[in-house]
Amino acid sequence: MDQSSSQPAIETHGLTKRFGERAALDGIDLDVPRGVAFGFLGPNGAGKTTIIRTLLGLTQASAGTMQLLGHPVPAERAQALQRVGAIVEEPRFHMHLTGRENLRIVAAVRGPETHARIEPALARVGLTERAGQKVKSYSMGMRQRLGVARCLLADPLLLILDEPTNGLDPGGIQEFREMIRAMVEQEGRTVFISSHLLDEVEKTCDAAAIVDRGKIVTQGAIADLAAGGGARHELILGVDDPARALTVLEGSALVAEARPDDEGIRVVLAGDPQTAAQINAELVRVGIGVTRLEPVRHSLEQRFLQITSRLDADLVPEEVKA
Amino acid sequence: MNATIAAQMTGADFLKLRKKRGTVIWASILALAPLVIYFIVSAAQHSSDAAKHAPAGGTSGYIDGIRILALFFGPLAAIMIGTDAGAGDVASGVFRDLVVTGRSRVALFASRAPAALGVTWLVMLVGYALLLIGTYAFASGGETPSTSAVINGLLFTLFSTGVICVVAVGFASLTASRPAALTALIGWQLVASPILASISSLGSSRKLILSQAIVHFSPVHVGDRGGTIAMSQGTAIVVALVWLALFLALGAWRTRTMDA
Repeated sequence: MDQSSSQPAIETHGLTKRFGERAALDGIDLDVPRGVAFGFLGPNGAGKTTIIRTLLGLTQASAGTMQLLGHPVPAERAQALQRVGAIVEEPRFHMHLTGRENLRIVAAVRGPETHARIEPALARVGLTERAGQKVKSYSMGMRQRLGVARCLLADPLLLILDEPTNGLDPGGIQEFREMIRAMVEQEGRTVFISSHLLDEVEKTCDAAAIVDRGKIVTQGAIADLAAGGGARHELILGVDDPARALTVLEGSALVAEARPDDEGIRVVLAGDPQTAAQINAELVRVGIGVTRLEPVRHSLEQRFLQITSRLDADLVPEEVKA
Repeated sequence: MNATIAAQMTGADFLKLRKKRGTVIWASILALAPLVIYFIVSAAQHSSDAAKHAPAGGTSGYIDGIRILALFFGPLAAIMIGTDAGAGDVASGVFRDLVVTGRSRVALFASRAPAALGVTWLVMLVGYALLLIGTYAFASGGETPSTSAVINGLLFTLFSTGVICVVAVGFASLTASRPAALTALIGWQLVASPILASISSLGSSRKLILSQAIVHFSPVHVGDRGGTIAMSQGTAIVVALVWLALFLALGAWRTRTMDA
């Protein structure tokens, strides 16, 4: 096994890209493990496409180091990109050529062994029957699939997809999601997806990083991110005597935090979610009626909005805050 | 990069150009239509008044045909094809997808010129075949060019259009814009070069004009419209090589350094 195969799929340290005075990427430290679907989340203009372009050598970094599949880039860029497939922004093609001819062009550039992958790649994305037609007759969804087929010509260990579901209808998005999951789970590939669609990343990815204004705000497993860093389990409790219940909960070793909430009492568990049953038992034992006990499901969207609104608040000048 | 990959990349670029119907059709029309029109009109004139008008074909028709194909319309067709080859990947947005394969950008640039030459020369070979058909079909028993003249004419046509085509590839790669490169090169070829060549106060600096260097190799007398600046064979070769080297280097540099 190549030594580089134990390295993360993507690793950056202090990656910076400046356009004049403005830092599009500001000291990005990113660590994407192998064999996962990794979401790169951020609002428009956050720097998602810039980091992809920098990683792929489409534009030069101003500072910092980066590695793709264990190879430092740009020093070993050619070796690194041998097993990387990428769609940057929307997939573009020679419209006057057929889908198959477009793949032939890229296969010629990648090397002789790549030609044998054209038909399997077309079959993998379900385009075999339409591969002889000119790309200008393709729908957006078909072009996205052809873009993935083009990536597959590299037999990629790492796929980098920039906003891959843009322009797809709901059926196309579902298909695309299934294809990504199959690539990760069945074929062991790493897929790096940049997106501003939180729901999409939550459904497709195992882990994610949130980027805003050129900086990584947080990164980790999706569940951890949604819970706000570290798996945080919460309950909403409905009880017939909230004041007494709060006293009991605050004295319980099973509870990290309890506070009144619009919906009842919000409880942060000190341990795993199974302790909810014990908390229920404690309340019932002291004669408090429990009318509702509901785990709080954190969404990445809530977390994302928390983070970005906090950043927005940080940017408000002090005199305005006052 | 080995020879197999280089050949495949050139083949891929050739495919892109060959399948671009608009460019190939208009380049063919530009190169061939004037020849056809010339022979039809000359043949009609000759048949209406043989005493006043020479035969459309024969040696004189061949010389006029070489002027039309190799010095005037052929280079314009070569510019069309060369600019498409030089800026086509960037214009279609595919350049970045080729860059992310990890293949060196210089290699991506290097495959453009041979592919453009292949398409240009195919068009020119068809044009030259038409020229020979016209030359012999409309000779009316008059003098026809010798075999060596025919070969020299063919070589000159390929040389003239080939040099212009490669310069167009380099220039279009430099500008990364086909419309800009097309406009600038056609303007240079049709307007600026003849005007500069006719300004006698520019003296020997006019030898630096590419069309003047190319005309030096013409097997037929070009007359006042074309090359009027006398220069040695060596100077003509150096000028042509400098133009080629300069624009290939600039095109390669831009391809290597541009944001994809």
